[in-house]
Amino acid sequence: MPRTALYSLCLVLFAGLFCIGTADVSLVNEEVKRTVDLSTHLAKITAEVLLSNQGESAVHSFVVALEPDLAPHLAYIGVSVKGEEEEDSNLELKETTVKDHSGKFFQVQLPSALAGGSKLRVQVETVFSHVLRPFPTHITQAERQLVVFQGNHYWYSPYPTRSQTTRVRLASKTVESYTKLGNPSKSDEIIEYGPFRDIAPYTQDAMKIHYENNTPFLTISSITRTIEVSHWGNIAVEETIDLRHTGAFLKGPFSRYDYQRQSDSGISSVKSFKTILPASAQDVYYRDEIGNISTSHLLVLEDSVEVEVRPRFPLFGGWKTHYIIGYNLPSYEYLYTLGDQYALKMRLVDHVYDDQVIDFLTVKLILPEGARNIHMDTPYPIDRSPDQLHYTYLDTFGRPVLVATKSNLVEQHIQDVVVHYTFNKILMLQEPLLVVGAFYILFFTVIIYVRLDFSITKDPAAEVRMKVASITEQVLTLVNKRLGLYRHLDEVVNRYKQSRDTGALNSGRKTLEAEHRTLTNDIASLQARLKAEGSDLADKVGEVQKLDGQVKELVCRSCQEAERLVAGKVKKEAYIESEKTLANRRQELISRIDSLLDAL
Amino acid sequence: MAEQHTVTDSKHKASSNTGGSLSGNSRPSAAGGGGGGGGLSGGLTQPAGWQSLLSFTILFLAWLAGFSSRLFAVIRFESIIHEFDPWFNYRSTHHLTTNGFYEFLNWFDERAWYPLGRIVGGTVYPGLMVTAGLIHYRPDVHLHLPADAGALEPGAGLLAACFIAIVPGYISRSVAGSFDNEGIAIFALQFTYYLWVKSVKTGSVFWTIGCCLSYFYMVSAWGGYVFIINLIPLHVFVLLLMQRYSRRVYIAYSTFYIIGLVLSMQIPFVGFQPIRTSEHMAAAGVFALLQAYAFLQYLKDRLTKQEFQTLFFLGVSMAAGVVFLTVIYLTYTGYIAPWSGRFYSLWDTGYAKIHIPIIASVSEHQPTTWVSFFFDLHILVCTFPAGLWFCIKNINDERVFVALYAISAVYFAGVMVRLMLTLTPVVCMLSAIAFSNVFQHYLGDDTKRENPPAEDSSDEDDKRNSGNLYDKAGKVRKHVSEQEKAEEGLGPNIKSIVTMLMLMLLMMFAVHCTWVTSNAYSSPSVVLASYNHDGTRNILDDFREAYYWLRQNTDEHARVMSWWDYGYQIAGMANRTTLVDNNTWNNSHIALVGKAMSSNESAAYQIMQSLDVDYVLIIFGGVIGYSGDDINKFLWMVRIAEGEHPKDIRESDYFTPQGEFRVDKAGSPTLLNCLMYKMSYYRFGEMQLDFRTPPGFDRTRNAEIGNKDIKFKHLEEAFTSEHWLVRIYKVKKLENREPLDHKPRITSLSAKQKYTSKKTAKRKRGYIKNKLVLKKGKKLNKKSV
Repeated sequence: MPRTALYSLCLVLFAGLFCIGTADVSLVNEEVKRTVDLSTHLAKITAEVLLSNQGESAVHSFVVALEPDLAPHLAYIGVSVKGEEEEDSNLELKETTVKDHSGKFFQVQLPSALAGGSKLRVQVETVFSHVLRPFPTHITQAERQLVVFQGNHYWYSPYPTRSQTTRVRLASKTVESYTKLGNPSKSDEIIEYGPFRDIAPYTQDAMKIHYENNTPFLTISSITRTIEVSHWGNIAVEETIDLRHTGAFLKGPFSRYDYQRQSDSGISSVKSFKTILPASAQDVYYRDEIGNISTSHLLVLEDSVEVEVRPRFPLFGGWKTHYIIGYNLPSYEYLYTLGDQYALKMRLVDHVYDDQVIDFLTVKLILPEGARNIHMDTPYPIDRSPDQLHYTYLDTFGRPVLVATKSNLVEQHIQDVVVHYTFNKILMLQEPLLVVGAFYILFFTVIIYVRLDFSITKDPAAEVRMKVASITEQVLTLVNKRLGLYRHLDEVVNRYKQSRDTGALNSGRKTLEAEHRTLTNDIASLQARLKAEGSDLADKVGEVQKLDGQVKELVCRSCQEAERLVAGKVKKEAYIESEKTLANRRQELISRIDSLLDAL
Repeated sequence: MAEQHTVTDSKHKASSNTGGSLSGNSRPSAAGGGGGGGGLSGGLTQPAGWQSLLSFTILFLAWLAGFSSRLFAVIRFESIIHEFDPWFNYRSTHHLTTNGFYEFLNWFDERAWYPLGRIVGGTVYPGLMVTAGLIHYRPDVHLHLPADAGALEPGAGLLAACFIAIVPGYISRSVAGSFDNEGIAIFALQFTYYLWVKSVKTGSVFWTIGCCLSYFYMVSAWGGYVFIINLIPLHVFVLLLMQRYSRRVYIAYSTFYIIGLVLSMQIPFVGFQPIRTSEHMAAAGVFALLQAYAFLQYLKDRLTKQEFQTLFFLGVSMAAGVVFLTVIYLTYTGYIAPWSGRFYSLWDTGYAKIHIPIIASVSEHQPTTWVSFFFDLHILVCTFPAGLWFCIKNINDERVFVALYAISAVYFAGVMVRLMLTLTPVVCMLSAIAFSNVFQHYLGDDTKRENPPAEDSSDEDDKRNSGNLYDKAGKVRKHVSEQEKAEEGLGPNIKSIVTMLMLMLLMMFAVHCTWVTSNAYSSPSVVLASYNHDGTRNILDDFREAYYWLRQNTDEHARVMSWWDYGYQIAGMANRTTLVDNNTWNNSHIALVGKAMSSNESAAYQIMQSLDVDYVLIIFGGVIGYSGDDINKFLWMVRIAEGEHPKDIRESDYFTPQGEFRVDKAGSPTLLNCLMYKMSYYRFGEMQLDFRTPPGFDRTRNAEIGNKDIKFKHLEEAFTSEHWLVRIYKVKKLENREPLDHKPRITSLSAKQKYTSKKTAKRKRGYIKNKLVLKKGKKLNKKSV
């Protein structure tokens, strides 16, 4: 940090000493190849300059100048060294001023000092937005869009230029007029000026080209890009876009009939465009205030997701629209972590359409609740607004929101921003715990409410009723169990009849006896409790007990009969006969018990 | 598909369970509204808890089924508000949430009814907006509400809950995406009735207050509250006639009337109506009658029979006479407003067509056809009389109410399609009773135990809490184990056949409900869908295309003229000022718009100039064959305009001499040159849709249009949506004066002066060319002016 500060301070001093002074006299533009690309709604001016140092002392920097007319529209400037080897990375730029000359000036720091007499080839790339003026400003649906470009024939530079060419690329063959300095040659969409020789520093000569340009004159008048980071594995991106057609205004009616039937009707209007999203984008939505916009298509490619964005209506000159596009990204591709340290590396602004122009950008980065020590590294200077807080579901103290704004951006600004912050991983548990806690409290309240009696008045009758009800419930289960025991014994007897295993029968009988006794005792105690409650049901239970005793007797008798049969003491016929009567009586008793139970 | 399974599944369980539970406790649930809740609470106190778990699960499943079938719309289209009215609700909810409640009550909407404006706070039922505002409005979240309502329905038990969860008649208004008053109003209605029955049953002030609060909510939600305030007095009145007067009824009604009256007057839109309009007078009359009756009952204890009889007749006739005369007098002097037109149209279906065409022009206000009865209620429409009969068979206080509700709702549903909604819950309830009775006979095995005769409600109440209920689980268990022995009378074949038949019916009902919901009620009117030959779906989003164009590309204060159907949508989606909208409070304003639409261009231009119209929006379906367009509605515009401007607009002018409404060459010239026709068919005459038809062939009306050469003088096409569904025209500002045909008369006879530039050094004094000379000293005679 301090090193860079010092460095920039030095630079400023350097600039003050040299730039405004005379040190740059030694530099000369040997050869300049200028390309003015006007084929879209942007003016992209690229110049390949062969710099040569005519003086003795080495030069560390040079100055790039922009014409005062164009300078306010500058969206992007980049300077790179062009050598034999691979194209060098961009050089560092610093805005500066020059005495007695208007316009914009940038001090470019050379990667290595340029010694006296040596040459260097650099490339200066500039992009200007809103410099192509529609003329006429209003056209009808059937007319074509004509625009005017006003610039400079020469390379605007603080250094003298030895030789220069300018090549202008247009959007179409149709050209209304163009300035004819030095008898330029025109072939199809290209106009070639020059070569011009020995041009003095700061020379300007107005170039004016009036030509047909039907490329989409779309401008994003404002875009708000919201990036919400969740540590649960998701990054949600949402862009709210205000789009405007900044070409020639539509004059007169819009006829759908002509638009549908004639292909060249409304040729400068915009029907749709393509937005390229990151390859891992999911759940893409495209909507506006009144719902989903159904006229869009999504194409998943290998390295990107392509959305064909089609506004609800075709955009003619002067028309505007507004929409929201959003998608989710997996966070592992963009979020890097080391212990408690996190780094988010994402595009500050993303692709909306080719050759995009953004008048005003607002980026909102929503970090997880509890992120601290936030530091943002931007690829180019950007205005930071004060941080905000954002609340969404289950937030307690709010998520920090970084807000940054910048105006006049183009495609070259699609670069990565890095945000560093620290986050305590324990905080991830906060939200689930909140939910758990809320449910816990809810259930606990219900439990308390149900279990405790909050009534002001006591209703003894109701209480007794409830008690009796619970007792009878128990009686019912017990009686049913007891009846089940008999059935079980029957099975044991049947098995015994086949296997003739007396031991099994005896043990079965013994268990029956034991269990029967406990059950009967239990029922008796319940009966006693019923009596204590003063319920007349006790009598009925008593009756059931009595009947049950008879049933038990019958069961025992049938058991004995079976024993006798096995022992050969009775004939089979007699046994069947007696068994039948026993079973009948038993059935009768059981049905009586049932009816009694029904009445409980 | 899975969802459908759930529906049938839950129903199956529900039916068997209801059969069991009803037989167990002498059918308490048959007591209409009171039953379901009672059974549930009884189950909760039971130690075993099986029943409560089961009923809870079934209710939950019913809720789930109801909820998910309402989501068809969202899944097949998107979460968007479908109909016309809800856009206003959405807009006002938005206003409420952004500006707060008091600001909302004082909201003067200058964007509607230009140039009159609308006092929204005073002309709206705020219940829905407040509810939605409380759920912190998001359309998708909010729409859970109707489904909740469906599940909370206190019907005749679980079966009724299942029915109501999926019945199309109710879904039609509560489907996700229809953000409408009715969605919550029906829930409020049912809840009010439930609490009313409960309070009549218990005679406790507590329940009555609950009932009043629910009524208050209902009043704040929907104009249909009038139905409650007439049905409850009717119930009380019938109870009196049936000699079923009791202290409970007295307490319930007196409390309800007073508190309900005061509460309902808190809604700004209702205001003093409850004491000033005829619709509410029945309630007041019954209140007076009840007081008199109670007083007489009191006297009865103190007087001899002879005295009492004379007093009774005297008192009753006097009271009746006084009340009647007072009402007549007050009506006459204007303190009480006479019946409104909408009210008359309930009794005479032809009334609206003659006197208030604006009401008759709404398709929802047409009398219901048999088809739509069956469409909305399916099998329930057949089983519901059976349920009613079961209900009447064992009459008691509550069942009187259910019967009255059923009968009156059937009548109203027959008069207006829209009131089908009030019928639906009671039909579900009674059908559930019918089904459960049938199942009880044919599915249950304990029919041999005769039901204890249904006695007075108080007894019934006691019985429900008595131990009778608790041993049921055990009993059922045991009898299942010995099922074969319990059979009697009916052979197993008959039983199973009947059961199967019933289940088939229910299954078909479920299938029908799902089908209707997914196909008929889930398609938003804003978004249209068409299907290609290969089955892919084409979405025609023309409405939103055009509205959004208006929103983005017109001046913020632009005034849009359209027929009133689209008023709320324009306000909601396009956010522009409208002249008329779906709140049709000002008939003459609507008639003026209708007149503009049905006049020729220059006459219309005058009207539009006087109304400051910037854009005109019309719906035209001729290209895609959309039948709900403005040409098809055009006769209503003419009729409404004729009602107010009989001199300028005559309906007969728009018909051929044979009395036909035709848009082709044979159509009447008035029609072929009126503004609506010209706007609809502008440049349509050049358009050839396919090779079999001539250019300018209207697919909706299957005719080649009669006027293909349409030119506009004062309008220009501003926007037409992709399928020509919405066309927007811009009204041009007044042009410069037209050049005269003849040469202007030259008044200055002096020789033409040489033009001298003002820029010359010597500046001359300016003068006015052809200046009028004022003659002084002559006074105009005032009489002649």
